[in-house]
Amino acid sequence: MTKRLWNWRLWVGFGVSFLALLIYFLLLQKTRSIFWGSLVLFVLSAALLVSGLKRAYAQPQSYRGKIAGPVLTVLGALFLGFFGWGVSLAAKYFPAARNAPKVGQKAPEFITVDSHGNSVALAQLLSTSMPNSSGGARTPKGVLLVFYRGYW
Amino acid sequence: MAISADSPEESRELIRKAGLTYPLLSDGKAEAIRRYDLLAPKAGIDGRDIAGTAEFLVDASGTVRWRNLSEAGPAEFMEAAKAVQ
Repeated sequence: MTKRLWNWRLWVGFGVSFLALLIYFLLLQKTRSIFWGSLVLFVLSAALLVSGLKRAYAQPQSYRGKIAGPVLTVLGALFLGFFGWGVSLAAKYFPAARNAPKVGQKAPEFITVDSHGNSVALAQLLSTSMPNSSGGARTPKGVLLVFYRGYW
Repeated sequence: MAISADSPEESRELIRKAGLTYPLLSDGKAEAIRRYDLLAPKAGIDGRDIAGTAEFLVDASGTVRWRNLSEAGPAEFMEAAKAVQ
């Protein structure tokens, strides 16, 4: 009986799925496009695991992995599950904002209230002179609008 | 200007606690948030609709000169701010 070969596809597939999950959670804060990178890695990982499993069961005399295969595949699927969970959370808390005003477009007008209950409109923010640090007043050159989650 | 779906009372509390020197605007019905397509439905406490984080630098003519949908850092903002001055 010949020595059975190491079924590397299973182990590499498992490693790739772990890497896909890891980079997603590490890099999500930096760029949302990491979703696509992770997705590609998960597809690659699934292909490796499936072909590794096929080898392990179709040619058990040549390849190892009849036990490790299912274990690694289940773990890989678990990582994929975590990824899916992360994606659904990201979709909930970080809206895609596809129709958010782009650079060069007009900032949509709005009316809100300040913390004292006075109504404040964007047009007003852009035209009202504000006291500056040197004691004078000047009309603003612009306004930075920071949308934040608030109390949650 | 910082905008959220918080009530003016919650904003006052935050200003006091954090010692903020800039105004907080309340958009309780998420109208401005919706207009900027930043609504995170039911993502807040008690399933409240809240804003996703984003920043827009608007010049005096009302044009967006820079924006950040959580992909840029403070350095990029400072660069854009210099260009507005």
